[in-house]
Amino acid sequence: MAGNKGRGRAAYTFNIEAVGFSKGEKLPDVVLKPPPLFPDTDYKPVPLKTGEGEEYMLALKQELRETMKRMPYFIETPEERQDIERYSKRYMKVYKEEWIPDWRRLPREMMPRNKCKKAGPKPKKAKDAGKGTSLTNTADVLKKIEELEKRDDGEKSDEENEDKEGSKEKSKEGDDDDDDDAAEQEEYDEEEQEEENDYINSYFEDGDDFGADSDDNMDEATY
Amino acid sequence: MDEIALRLPSTMTQAEIKLCSLLLQEHFGEIVEKIGVHLIRTGSQPLRVIAHDTGTSLDQVKKALCVLIQHNLVSYQVHKRGVVEYEAQCSRVLRMLRYPRYIYTTKTLYSDTGELIVEELLLNGKLTMSAVVKKVADRLTETMEDGKTMDYAEVSNTFVRLADTHFVQRCPSVPTTENSDPGPPPPAPTLVINEKDMYLVPKLSLIGKGKRRRSSDEDAAGEPKAKRPKHTTDNKEPIPDDGIYWQANLDRFHQHFRDQAIVSAVANRMDQTSSEIVRTMLRMSEITTSSSAPFTQPLSSNEIFRSLPVGYNISKQVLDQYLTLLADDPLEFVGKSGDSGGGMYVINLHKALASLATATLESVVQERFGSRCARIFRLVLQKKHLEQKQVEDFAMIPAKEAKDMLYKMLSENFMSLQEIPKTPDHAPSRTFYLYTVNILSAARMLLHRCYKSIANLIERRQFETKENKRLLEKSQRVEAIIASMQATGAEEAQLQEIEEMITAPERQQLETLKRNVNKLDASEIQVDETIFLLESYH
Repeated sequence: MAGNKGRGRAAYTFNIEAVGFSKGEKLPDVVLKPPPLFPDTDYKPVPLKTGEGEEYMLALKQELRETMKRMPYFIETPEERQDIERYSKRYMKVYKEEWIPDWRRLPREMMPRNKCKKAGPKPKKAKDAGKGTSLTNTADVLKKIEELEKRDDGEKSDEENEDKEGSKEKSKEGDDDDDDDAAEQEEYDEEEQEEENDYINSYFEDGDDFGADSDDNMDEATY
Repeated sequence: MDEIALRLPSTMTQAEIKLCSLLLQEHFGEIVEKIGVHLIRTGSQPLRVIAHDTGTSLDQVKKALCVLIQHNLVSYQVHKRGVVEYEAQCSRVLRMLRYPRYIYTTKTLYSDTGELIVEELLLNGKLTMSAVVKKVADRLTETMEDGKTMDYAEVSNTFVRLADTHFVQRCPSVPTTENSDPGPPPPAPTLVINEKDMYLVPKLSLIGKGKRRRSSDEDAAGEPKAKRPKHTTDNKEPIPDDGIYWQANLDRFHQHFRDQAIVSAVANRMDQTSSEIVRTMLRMSEITTSSSAPFTQPLSSNEIFRSLPVGYNISKQVLDQYLTLLADDPLEFVGKSGDSGGGMYVINLHKALASLATATLESVVQERFGSRCARIFRLVLQKKHLEQKQVEDFAMIPAKEAKDMLYKMLSENFMSLQEIPKTPDHAPSRTFYLYTVNILSAARMLLHRCYKSIANLIERRQFETKENKRLLEKSQRVEAIIASMQATGAEEAQLQEIEEMITAPERQQLETLKRNVNKLDASEIQVDETIFLLESYH
């Protein structure tokens, strides 16, 4: 660098004629801006291929796009509630068929919890207290709490006139014992796991509403 | 070390991530897109971290992951201490672009029934055979005239043929062994696949016929009572092939595309007969050669002769002449591997793919920079390394123009420059500058441009649709009204009145929009064809 400036030599260390500039010719300006968004092209693009196959694939592509939107896999973002319900909206609504994932193929944590567990701080405390004792003991306590909760819930939903929810809850109560036990076992494991991985737990300390959230959606075993 | 390198997320370029994001959003909505792209960017992560990092509720994340796993776009693995980590299959996401081609290919090979089978598998990610058969039979019945129905057995047959030719395959499944060991069950099932079961169709006796979809009251009233029990398969009946899921085997499709590309390249270069011979050779090795093998299995000329399609009347002598001719061709699509059995021949798959990629590069240079640039490009390709002065002389293009073209191709990365210093000080005046074409890196560069192009095409299409959203909704509404009026038997004059709710300029605008969207969609499909060629070459 010093050599270039100090001795007043040409700014280039190589023969610029070799790159196509004659001596003394003005070099092009340095480009300081990004290239244009829609640059001019020197050559027009060739037309697209046409034919029966191409047309069929085009139709397939557009059809697939529409079909995908009607599949149960398409998860819509909850729209902001509008003040005025648009009449046309009612007709635009698409009815999707239900999809129940094969839970056997999925990690257990994928299962939505369909039992009222983490309803409030009170049952949690009870669970913690039961931890020290044997497994069966804990399960018993949990069962009791659960029953209490369900009763609670049933009443509540009656109050709120959520008939549908209430009846669903009740029908679930009628489930056979085996099922309950399995679910409880699961719940227990989950607690255990969470304790092991304290750091993961801490991620959710601020998300108080998370628990409530998942409770709201509790009945959505199907996506 | 290797394992760490493989798990690094940055193997995807920004263009690819952008494209993945657009595809996920179009197919599964914004929530799935958010989770999917997050996983692509970060590599594998556990559930709770995903929820935290994306600021999405745990419930939503679970739903999104279920969708992604169902469609084979995300896989999971149990790590130490029972933490399950989820990992996106990035390149699989990009394959969604090719769905129309997979479906169309099956249609050409296995007619409408095959088409619908593959379509259902792609739409649902994975399905049991009984579910596929039922869905397809119902759909086919709906397109048939009244009174006719599609038999389950017929759909089953096509399904079996697709499995025999490996176009559909079993998904890894949960092992059936009852684990009697105590202790909590594992946090995630380990899915396994027995290789010899991959294409094994479960023995099912699927009896039944497709049903037409009707509104429930019509169903009850309109159908004769006697016929009903035959049609309805009881829902509570245990599913015969429960737990055995099938998916479309995309690799097998790619192999088919590759073979077709090779056959048509041979047809273009030589003639129909030689392409038919190459097609026969490829068909003979379809199942015996793995899709990534550099060569097909050696085939003797006698074997090839026996396998030529019936009615293809060429004598053994002519076949041998053709084979010699093919083996002598400088492109080396066909190679001779021995003399036994009347001469053993192989198809040099890697070489063929390289030639196809090079031809794609040449044609892109020609269409972007003109035929004189293409001449320089081919010259450098042929001579491997050339100095600037030599290029000017050999290409017989005036020095100034030739330089201009060389620099242009250099700056667009179609060419590269190799420095060879004569002295250790690397002084420019004592250095050779050799122009060369690195086909692999040029092909890779072009591939990323293709990804970017498709992302641009999708964005443009979404923009066009959004701009005309109100108009589109209006036309949909009008169409719905007309359809319902037609169903109730309205008069022609009434229909026309409704039709006129869309004014002439609006109609014109709709036409333009449709034309533009069609063009953009067709471009997406065709750019993906180039992507396929460039990806196969690596």
